[in-house]
Amino acid sequence: MTRAKLISIFTDVHLWVPVGVLILGIFLLMSLR
Amino acid sequence: MSDTVVAARGRSTLSLHKLGVFCGLAAAVWLGTAEAPTKLVNAGFSPFLISMGMVMGAFVARWTVPTLLKGTGFLFADLRDKPHLIVWALLAGMLWAVANTLTIFAVRNVGLAIAFPLWNTNSLVGLFWGWLLFNELRGSSIKEWAKVLGGASAIVGGAAVLAFATARQSDTPGKAAVGIVAALGAGVLLGTMYIPYRKAYISGMNPLSFVTIFTFGELGTVLTLSAIYMGGFSQVVSELHRARPMLFWPFVGGFCWVMGDLFQNFAAKYIGIGRGIPLSNTNQLWGLAWGALVFGELAGLGLYSKGLVITGSLVMIAGAVSISMADPGASELVNWRKAMHRECDRYGLDTQKVALVVAGDDPLAEHPPVRRWWEAVIVTVAVGIFVWLAIGTRSQHLSISMPWMIVLVIGTILPLGICGTLLWRRTRFS
Repeated sequence: MTRAKLISIFTDVHLWVPVGVLILGIFLLMSLR
Repeated sequence: MSDTVVAARGRSTLSLHKLGVFCGLAAAVWLGTAEAPTKLVNAGFSPFLISMGMVMGAFVARWTVPTLLKGTGFLFADLRDKPHLIVWALLAGMLWAVANTLTIFAVRNVGLAIAFPLWNTNSLVGLFWGWLLFNELRGSSIKEWAKVLGGASAIVGGAAVLAFATARQSDTPGKAAVGIVAALGAGVLLGTMYIPYRKAYISGMNPLSFVTIFTFGELGTVLTLSAIYMGGFSQVVSELHRARPMLFWPFVGGFCWVMGDLFQNFAAKYIGIGRGIPLSNTNQLWGLAWGALVFGELAGLGLYSKGLVITGSLVMIAGAVSISMADPGASELVNWRKAMHRECDRYGLDTQKVALVVAGDDPLAEHPPVRRWWEAVIVTVAVGIFVWLAIGTRSQHLSISMPWMIVLVIGTILPLGICGTLLWRRTRFS
């Protein structure tokens, strides 16, 4: 994968919205233990 | 995406909206049926273990079904063409795994009656993301908005009534706030999981390739979470060994889940997540049908509760009918195409080719798949695993209504045949 494509991926809001929600979900799960 | 694109020669001319609606409803049937085999699991096993059994069964099926339908050559070519989407497919699998674990906590703390409607709000979350990130419903009239939003809300409302009428009390009263937060969290995670779905499909990825990668994120996360909660991988292996006599049932459930999931993915592709997900969320009706008609679970309910069951079911059906009639208009389709063009520009995709794939006319699908020797190995191993698990399987002793079971098995296989044929004739599973 080219550097330009990697930059496109890491600056894509479609990536960070699910990643953010996933991190929050994992925190929630860990707090329920 | 657009019905104006002329269907390839020899293909059916069924509208993509109708095809997507059929896929959403078939998804509901199979996702609901997936609950039935797990009812045969003997008591005394952790919900984590049952969930992991389903995911392992799903892992086997998610490799086998796409291999059978399209061949590994097609799947790898599709992935090589859009390698950036592998990240999103893995991410979606991880979101599902965390959400599913949250639902276990939710049911344990507040019971199904409260938990189910709360996480069923995932369709409203998906509808919001579809509107915000992928231009779904943009440019549509108030009437279309009312049909989709009203239909999705009716399905969530119907789910609430059904869950209230049928669920038993939680075994562990108290900790209600924790259970509610867990259920809401699961709803947000599941709703957000549809972002990767939609992104993949407006970029021209095939749903069969998507689920093949999705399953690695799903299985990896479930194994990690199970190890954390059960005290290490060795403990997980030991528990799986202990559960060997019942593992067949969650595996069958996982297989049914994959069939439903595939139809749900095709629905998300052809009618978007705002319409497709609420339709497939009517799976609760089918789960209820299995519970009530085959396993006799509603036998002890009073007249009031039975009235609630009928009311909830009718509200859900009304919601599904409303969404089925919400055909996207020309101005909305223009906005869908804008979202597709944005993806093509950002990731350097061939716009013309993506437009064809999105419209169900993938040029690659015209060529019969080139079969490789390892595909026979994949299918043989998958069938072998199911046969091995079936030998020596024990089930909970439940009284089952055989006539109703036959009716529901036929009712489950029919949508598979009809919808599978429609998908093949219109899109060649593209």
